[in-house]
Amino acid sequence: MGTISYTPTSVVLDPVSRVEGHLKVEVTVDQNAVTDARITGTMFRGIEKILANRTPLDAPDITQRICGVCPVSHALAASETLENAAGFTPPANARIMRNLVLGANFLQSHVLHFYVLSALDYVDGPAMPPWQPSWSGGKRLKGDTATKLVNNYVAALDIRRKCHEMGAIFGGRLPHPPTFVPGGFTTTPRKERIDLFKKYLAEVSTFIRDVYIPDVNLVGSVYSDYLKVGAGYGNLLAYGVFDQNDSGTDKLLKRGASYRGSAPVPTVDTKAITERVTYSWYASQSDNRNPTSGDTTPQFPKTDAYSWLKAPRYNSEPCEVGPLARMWVNGDYQHGISVMDRHLSRAEEASKVAAAMANWVGELNPTAPVYRQYSVPVSGSGVGLTEAPRGALGHWINISGGMTANYQIITPTCWNASPMDERKQCGPIEKALIGTPVDNINEPIEVVRVIHSFDPCLSCAVHVMRPSGEARVFTLAF
Amino acid sequence: MNLSRRDFLNLCKSSSVAAGLSAVDLIRLEELFAGTSAPTVYWLQGSGCTGCSVSFLNYIAPSAPTTAAEVLIQNVNLAFHTTVMDVSGQSAVSIVDGASKQRRGYILVVEGGVPLGFNGNACLAWSKDGKDVTFKDAVTVLASRASKIICVGSCASWGGVGAAAPNPSGIVGVQQATRKRTINIAGCPPHPDWIVWGIAKALVGSVGTLDQYGRPTRLFNRTVHDACPRREREEAHTYGQDGYCLEELGCLGPQTRAACPSTGWNNHANWCVDANSLCIGCTEPSFPASPLRGAGEREDD
Repeated sequence: MGTISYTPTSVVLDPVSRVEGHLKVEVTVDQNAVTDARITGTMFRGIEKILANRTPLDAPDITQRICGVCPVSHALAASETLENAAGFTPPANARIMRNLVLGANFLQSHVLHFYVLSALDYVDGPAMPPWQPSWSGGKRLKGDTATKLVNNYVAALDIRRKCHEMGAIFGGRLPHPPTFVPGGFTTTPRKERIDLFKKYLAEVSTFIRDVYIPDVNLVGSVYSDYLKVGAGYGNLLAYGVFDQNDSGTDKLLKRGASYRGSAPVPTVDTKAITERVTYSWYASQSDNRNPTSGDTTPQFPKTDAYSWLKAPRYNSEPCEVGPLARMWVNGDYQHGISVMDRHLSRAEEASKVAAAMANWVGELNPTAPVYRQYSVPVSGSGVGLTEAPRGALGHWINISGGMTANYQIITPTCWNASPMDERKQCGPIEKALIGTPVDNINEPIEVVRVIHSFDPCLSCAVHVMRPSGEARVFTLAF
Repeated sequence: MNLSRRDFLNLCKSSSVAAGLSAVDLIRLEELFAGTSAPTVYWLQGSGCTGCSVSFLNYIAPSAPTTAAEVLIQNVNLAFHTTVMDVSGQSAVSIVDGASKQRRGYILVVEGGVPLGFNGNACLAWSKDGKDVTFKDAVTVLASRASKIICVGSCASWGGVGAAAPNPSGIVGVQQATRKRTINIAGCPPHPDWIVWGIAKALVGSVGTLDQYGRPTRLFNRTVHDACPRREREEAHTYGQDGYCLEELGCLGPQTRAACPSTGWNNHANWCVDANSLCIGCTEPSFPASPLRGAGEREDD
């Protein structure tokens, strides 16, 4: 090659479309590849602060409203957190119905993610708003293949709706089901409900097998170079989900962690979870804390900081969470770590969950109890570790005087979209972006492909806030 | 890829439930599109959870429009909605910049509340010319020229869950933030039938009268309790029992105006009370009450 000199160019994408919530990304591109990336969520609500000084019983209903795409995961995490604080085990029927509603929402979310949130990165949609205008460059699917995928986009809208109808049979309604309560579940598993659920599940399962998985394989083969893009660290963390016995020791998707491709360790030690704030606008007293004693003292301006998102780390490592982490830890998918591996493992997880749901619905007992009286302890603490469709979700509570004294939530997108830590290790999505080839800096579709592969949910990243460019001291109401 | 509007519409087939749109409304909608005079719709998301958009996607009806896809193709020229649109960044921002050139006006749909705290910086809409544009500023500019403003959900209507005490980011509803009259399709989330009805009615003419909270009386004229099939039934004292009235457990149906008993949820799969849970009053400005499920602690019995 000659001696052409390149000037690194910085480009800001804000908003990043087809994610849940508000996300901004700034990338530096040099010689047609990303050399630096900064991820910033752009919404702050402070749901944890709203939970404080209320009865802990409000937590399942309130925390669901963090996210309209994964409300079931928050409802489950909050219910389990309160039950953990009281040493309470709900009836088997409740455990099974929680699994079935959560499973229905996993399927809904995975189908929504591939078709509605991701497919337009690879194929042009219909020739009308909101699918036009489009970034057409780099869309390799054309002609009949493209038409088929767009047809399936429409079919997927129908299927994801039916997933919610299926979940609502027991969940009461979706999104924001009212049926998850500490103590168990409110719906009764009547026979006609079981039969209707099975009917929906059969149709959804057929779609996953005959349409969703073949479509992901199609995109994966046409974009096989994306098996080499967006690897990131390869640190994978899963809390596990879908309890198959009342003690929770048997989970369909197991708990565990894997470092840089090593053999998974089948445990997660929550004491090894800390949140770092070196590059976040928080004071040093908030640094390196476990969520059981979380602190959020803002400091702005602050030298070198660039995000209101804290940086959760596990044993000091940034970790990717999500379907690929779960399937890897479970031993179900270990082909590789990349943009396309995330899509492929997500689709295979949908198939695995749907198959398990067919077994669980048969375990419901229409005449057994669904709920036992639950009483909030006067004082104590609890933790609920579960999974949202997009990754590991943890809730922590401290109860004092029968009321919520402190509630802490670490969402999957807090892990994936976190900023750098004190060792200058950037967050998992930032790391995955580095090295991504970019053809047209004005329409960097390659960047959004990497971001979308993580299925980020920024409404969930409740710590996040970004001030305007001017130096100004904010007083956050924590 | 050049699938036409009609081709795409032909792909969208399904069945069930009524949206409450008259044949006259539908003819008018079709005329709007035939004459390419359909008003543009911009759907902005503020401080919320995207649950209202997800609920909209759950729309299903026995007669046209039968699905959310059909609404998007046939009935609404939805120019901007960040969860479904193709483009990001400047390409997306230039779409809303085009609003000021809309000669026939446009409909503004807002999901999520407007944080006034931190000078509006608790929710940023997008970046323009290298600067952050707060959601407060974005919604204020777009509201000023909108022919109608529809708030989808309780957050846009009056703040919702994010505005619950101590309201950490100072969230208010769109009407309070912009001082423009809004049509409030309340609910957390609202039923998809209510959302589609509100937008379609606004496009063809009027949603009719609004109550004191800006909700169309056509949708919010009766309390949940008033139409509840479990009204007058024996009282339940615990969760998990079919057929009982849930008022003693803290059901807020008596003071909550919503059509849930007749519309059901998710294609009539179930609804809160039929699932033996409580109405938690999600269509009321007082939502979320504290405590939310105040068994035995309310005074209105």
